[in-house]
Amino acid sequence: MKKIIVENLKYKYPLSEKLALNNVSFEIEQGEFIGVIGRNLSGKSTLCQAMVGLVPHFYKGAYGGKVIIDGLEVRNYSIADISLKVGIVFQNPFTQITGSKMTVYEEIAFGLENLGISRAEMINRIDFALNLLKIAPFKERSPFDLSGGQMQRMAIASIIAMKPEIIVLDEPTSQLDPEGSEEVFRAIQDLSKQGITVILAEHKMEKMAEFCNRILLLDDGKVVDFDVPEKVFSRDDLGEHGVNAPVYTRVCKALNKKKAGTNDYPVTLEEAVRVLGGMGL
Amino acid sequence: MRSISLYTERNTVIHAMDPISKLFYILFALLIPIILPSIKVSIVCVVLGLIFLLVARVFKKTIPVFSFVFLILLTVIIIQGLFRPGNQTTLFHFGPFTLYKEGLMFAFGVAFRVINIVSAFMILILTTKPSDLVESLVRKGLSSKIGYVIISVFQIIPEMMSSMETITDAQRSRGMETEGNLQTRMKAFLPLLGPVILGSLANTKERAMALEVRGFNSKGPKTYLLEEKKYRYSKVVQWGILLGIACALAWRILV
Ligand SMILES: Nc1ncnc2c1ncn2[C@@H]1O[C@H](COP(=O)(O)OP(=O)(O)O)[C@@H](O)[C@H]1O
Ligand SMILES: [Mg+2]
Repeated sequence: MKKIIVENLKYKYPLSEKLALNNVSFEIEQGEFIGVIGRNLSGKSTLCQAMVGLVPHFYKGAYGGKVIIDGLEVRNYSIADISLKVGIVFQNPFTQITGSKMTVYEEIAFGLENLGISRAEMINRIDFALNLLKIAPFKERSPFDLSGGQMQRMAIASIIAMKPEIIVLDEPTSQLDPEGSEEVFRAIQDLSKQGITVILAEHKMEKMAEFCNRILLLDDGKVVDFDVPEKVFSRDDLGEHGVNAPVYTRVCKALNKKKAGTNDYPVTLEEAVRVLGGMGL
Repeated sequence: MRSISLYTERNTVIHAMDPISKLFYILFALLIPIILPSIKVSIVCVVLGLIFLLVARVFKKTIPVFSFVFLILLTVIIIQGLFRPGNQTTLFHFGPFTLYKEGLMFAFGVAFRVINIVSAFMILILTTKPSDLVESLVRKGLSSKIGYVIISVFQIIPEMMSSMETITDAQRSRGMETEGNLQTRMKAFLPLLGPVILGSLANTKERAMALEVRGFNSKGPKTYLLEEKKYRYSKVVQWGILLGIACALAWRILV
């Protein structure tokens, strides 16, 4: 089943001369794990925000084409309506704290209170989200009193409690230390295992190659490629689009070692080991 | 957690009262001396307020505020006592100055009213968690947006102060003088405002988006995670206060 359909999406921020998204089209199936990559300012964040209706509803600006999420055309629904289907997590864990709640537990309830969810259902959902993101031990702490990785997992839990079928994460680990990043990546994998459709914009290509079913490569607001990681990372023109392939791919490319019977280079450690193993390394 | 709220945790009858009742009491303290201008009534009100502060065991916390208020009131008393137009009855002379009874009585009237209102506000502020007050008001129909702004200010300002501290530490570690006399401190403080304010503005946009996607502008009715706090005798206290005000009005008109 098609979960997301984007058709000829064009978008220009107010007061800006240039299209931030230029004729973007793609389709995503239920349960897929999609990576969004591209150099800085290539339009990753704008695309992420277009999935939840922040583009265009929050910014206004000039909008053309269609984004259809689970049958809803984003342009015609409010952000609150769309938030029942898609959730988004931003870079900075700190700015996602509402600042009006005393504990982690209450913080996660914020969205549910706004949606008018009954108290019994709220408690069920909060407990589910706390456990899935492994932050139940901190539930009575102040939201400001957490490490970066814990705070970001709380932000994810706050979205997960709203039971979206799709979650969009815009560089969720870029402001975290290595340990915090690792916690968050593990949490995102757990979400995907729950059957949630995941869209992740991220610069850590090794992780992207490991997790993603397909990768969307953006440059200058346009889709350059949308394919499985081996195909995207085996492109010869990756560098021209400001992206580095995973280190395993770069090594195998340098040694000209392709995956057996294909035209693609390995993208993960295991694949690389399998290919290079034949060299007696 | 750090907080800018003056709320002091104590286990007393006053703390357990409905925040709305405390708002009613502020109304009472404002209106009664206006309805019944006799200085005796004001004194009774002041004594009542002080008793409440003592019962709530927060009297100590009020001392800095009251000292400031007394300082201002002292100047009012001196100026009115000496120079109020219509001063006639001499109380006593000192040097070239004469203190008059009319001005002094007027100034005492003002002083008691001010102390009365200040104590009523102190009862509210010192014995009520800001979030409890706002939650009561939102449940009574205050816009939840306004409620959000009030509560988040109480939490986010201390966070801004701690980010200010982080930046100060960074500057000190680079050899900038951040302590010493007022001038050095101002010099150290001003360059901080840029990053802190710009940072807060950028954060504001992101926080606004994060709130949006959590249904902040949802049109439907809201629910609450926490059960509504049940305050005992709220209705009795609030009707009692209203009745008191009504009686004062009746007294003023009839007697
Ligand atoms: N709030 C904004 N107002 C105007 N232009 C913006 C805004 N945010 C991003 N842009 C522009 O949109 C383009 C895409 O930016 P963005 O989506 O943030 O890219 P990325 O997330 O890949 O770094 C850039 O040219 C950027 O300058
Ligand atoms: Mg971005």
